[in-house]
Amino acid sequence: MIASRRLLTLLASLLLIGALAQQVQLERQVFDIGRKLRCPVCVSESVADSAAQIAVEMRDIIQQQLQEGRSEKEILAFFQERYGDWILLDPPKRGLHLLVWILPVVAAVAGAALLAVFVRRWLRSSGAALEVDEADLERVREALDRESP
Amino acid sequence: MRRLIVVLAVIAALGGLFAWGLLRGRPDRNISSNLIGKRVPDFEMPLHRRYWQEYGETFSLASYLGKPLVVNFWASWCTPCFREAPVLEALWKQYQDRVLFVGIQTQDRGKTAAGESFLERFSLSFPNGIDDNSRIGVEYGLFGVPETFFIRADGTLAYKQIGELTPQVLQQQLEALLR
Amino acid sequence: MGELSLGQLGSASVLLALALAGYGAVAGILGALRRDARLQTSARLAALATFLAMTAALAVMEAALLTDDFSVLYVAQHSRIASPLWVKLVTMWAALEGSILLWGWLLSAYTALLAITAPNHALRPWALAILATVEVFFSGVVATIANPFRVLPNPPLDGPGPNPLLQNHWMMAVHPVLLYLGFVGLTVPFAYAMSALITRRPGVEWMSQTRTWTLTGWGFLSAGIVAGGWWSYEVLGWGGYWAWDPVENVSFLPWLTATAFIHSVQVQERRRMLKAWNVFLITLTFALSILGTFLIRSGIISSVHAFGDGPVGPVFLGFFILVMVGAFSLIALRWDQVRDNAELDAFVSREGSFLAGNILFLALAFAVLLGTLFPLIVEALSGNKVTVGAPFFDQVSLPIWMLIFALMGIGPLLPWRKAEEQSLLRNLAWLGGGALLSALLAYLLGVRKIYPLLTITLAGYNLVSLALLITGVVIPRMRLSKRSAAAILGRYAFESRRRFGSMVVHFGVIVVALGVAGSSGYRIDEQVRIDLGSSASFQGYELRAVDRFMEQTPQRISAGAVIEVWRAGRRITTLRPRLNLFGQNQQTIPTPAVLYTPRHDLYLSIAGALDPDTNFVVLRVVQSPLITWIWLGGILVVLGTAYALSPQSLRAGRRREQEGRVQA
Repeated sequence: MIASRRLLTLLASLLLIGALAQQVQLERQVFDIGRKLRCPVCVSESVADSAAQIAVEMRDIIQQQLQEGRSEKEILAFFQERYGDWILLDPPKRGLHLLVWILPVVAAVAGAALLAVFVRRWLRSSGAALEVDEADLERVREALDRESP
Repeated sequence: MRRLIVVLAVIAALGGLFAWGLLRGRPDRNISSNLIGKRVPDFEMPLHRRYWQEYGETFSLASYLGKPLVVNFWASWCTPCFREAPVLEALWKQYQDRVLFVGIQTQDRGKTAAGESFLERFSLSFPNGIDDNSRIGVEYGLFGVPETFFIRADGTLAYKQIGELTPQVLQQQLEALLR
Repeated sequence: MGELSLGQLGSASVLLALALAGYGAVAGILGALRRDARLQTSARLAALATFLAMTAALAVMEAALLTDDFSVLYVAQHSRIASPLWVKLVTMWAALEGSILLWGWLLSAYTALLAITAPNHALRPWALAILATVEVFFSGVVATIANPFRVLPNPPLDGPGPNPLLQNHWMMAVHPVLLYLGFVGLTVPFAYAMSALITRRPGVEWMSQTRTWTLTGWGFLSAGIVAGGWWSYEVLGWGGYWAWDPVENVSFLPWLTATAFIHSVQVQERRRMLKAWNVFLITLTFALSILGTFLIRSGIISSVHAFGDGPVGPVFLGFFILVMVGAFSLIALRWDQVRDNAELDAFVSREGSFLAGNILFLALAFAVLLGTLFPLIVEALSGNKVTVGAPFFDQVSLPIWMLIFALMGIGPLLPWRKAEEQSLLRNLAWLGGGALLSALLAYLLGVRKIYPLLTITLAGYNLVSLALLITGVVIPRMRLSKRSAAAILGRYAFESRRRFGSMVVHFGVIVVALGVAGSSGYRIDEQVRIDLGSSASFQGYELRAVDRFMEQTPQRISAGAVIEVWRAGRRITTLRPRLNLFGQNQQTIPTPAVLYTPRHDLYLSIAGALDPDTNFVVLRVVQSPLITWIWLGGILVVLGTAYALSPQSLRAGRRREQEGRVQA
């Protein structure tokens, strides 16, 4: 008798913890998606961060749709339909917008390539006579003059 | 020399970009609506008390299609909305047989009373309702207030006005709706 | 004061400063061209006089603010009688015209200081002339199109007060000044670089003469950026400190190039290489800071921080283009002198690591610049509006940060010229061991996300690197002199301030990196509704909403909640987050309340509005692990920089010189 009561209590608490955990997980998902959307009435806050009413409402909508089972992509598309590409904090990866993703990589690779070219050139020329600054030469002569008794 | 030309070209391009940016003025606030040409979302909203007798307690957009519509979003704290309200009221009186004006109080959670004083102050006779949780605003892609949507008789969006309406623009758009 | 109003006095002061700066520029250029000592001295005196005139202008503006003189345009537009004293003081730089005045004043101060302290060298006249020319621009803008001293014939009785976001926190008094000290400080090496090109002295002199200025400017800029982050954290209410907002990016860009610069100058000092590259870098740094002020003040990019539009935009654009075209033409003209006849013994060397680091910093700067300007570019080309927000910048910058972090560990361990294979392998083994150990530790502690894991791994690797550096210094000396390790380390720290200071700075960077990894990787964000009188639980804390409160000061009306924070049955503290209304402004500004602990912060902010009719409060609660480490690390970076710059007694300096000679 007592055992079955304990079992029941254990079951109930597990269910409760499960529900709470799910709730927390849901909220975290809402914030994650909210961080990808721009708050329409703010200047540059995300929907997750903003305290504006419309942002609060958008978070509610996100939560509702998550509970209905929609995926992140579908939810982002929902807002994109109504607000245009502008509402996404990440520019959509198509057309002209691809440039913002590709160019940094291109620049980094180009920079590394340029560096490689110069380094090779400099490695080769080492072994040739050193070129000395006029000012340095002056300083060395002065120092030598000072040192010698 | 060749390198200098490349560098100068880059500077010129940047300079041109910024000059263009300066000329076009303030950013962001002129984003055209994604809904233009598309069927606008249906919605239902509770109306303010003063309109219950004539229009009922709830306003459903779907039941009013077939006639051109002007949907105006406002809030009780929005200063340009104060200037816009008399303009709307005046032209409403002129066009009320041909076009339906609907006002939606949005981004004003819990401020029903403030909304009622707004309506009282400007004696708006066209129906105004409450979008308490700003949901309708989100459905319409609202960036701020005031914004006005000009909807054709078939339910598609003809034009969206961001910011306050002047009598000239309002008349112009109304005529366009009726064509 | 008779008939002379403060406005007129201020305008006159700025006009005088403009005239003096103009004279200083002309006399400086002529004096440099003709090598006329009298003209040069005259130019130096003009620099001092310009500083006095600008100080007068500044004093007049502060006086107008403090005495509520609303006949002065700037005061009427931005000040308010009810503001507290400190707010009135900082209102001076709270808006566009005042901020330009502040910049101009700081520049005149730096120029005057340089005129007095700079060594009498061929580089000086041109450098001062260039600084005077920049001063002509800034004082010119203040004197003409952005004149804050304009007199209003019908002064209002009261003003709207400064932007509410700017009167909420004392950091407003500190952050902009730090930033401007940074930008202006970096103008000095730029002026010297240009001077070096003009006088055909592209060697190390221009860098060694400006080393103190460069490091000081960099130090202030770093402090300003970290301070800005902390200010955002304390004021904006979303529990974050860096949003990749355009204005933030724009202060970050010159910092990136300046950091690359302070490292690559060492390559020029030691190996006489990279002359053109260094001139290019410092020019880029200066140009980016001007670009920054343009973007903020022109209104073409919207941001929380932006000052708004006006006639100032085109003028700053013009100046930016002028600087770029002028500087790059000069570099092209002197190309034969600066082009590198460099040589490298091996890529795996200190030089090589600095080169690689430079590429990384510049790649990051390019990515940030591109992302910031991209919406503008897209709109210009296609008319579409897009947003480039935090997700883009995070994704692009994190890999580069990891590489920089990795380089920071191995670079200082590599010798100049060529790394010897055996010691290199030995060092790598130690570093690898440190990395592995940290990775294991992190994994065992439950860190599973890739970037925090990587950061902790590299942090351990970097700590081992610092340990190797220190032991590399201490152990050989212990063999020589038979003193204790601590005494040797103390003496080393005292005498090699540059090296030890840089170790402290790098250590600070490690601390900041860990703070960023913890706070962004494991931040927990929740919206919690608490009924008054009851409590809610959050991450082991119990938050009891005890009461609501209203308070009214002459400056603001605030409504907030009193929340008691309990943990394990003990009351830890009471936090009072609130919402504020400043003056006639309708915008409610939140003041979050933060519980700072070394392990994490508990951050409470009121979400939405506080309705007096309801008896509950909705809070945004954020827990950010290790976020305090960011501020502490920032302080370490600044302290390390200050220490590296601190002057040593003559005796110690000479002793070090002798020892240096023995060791070489």
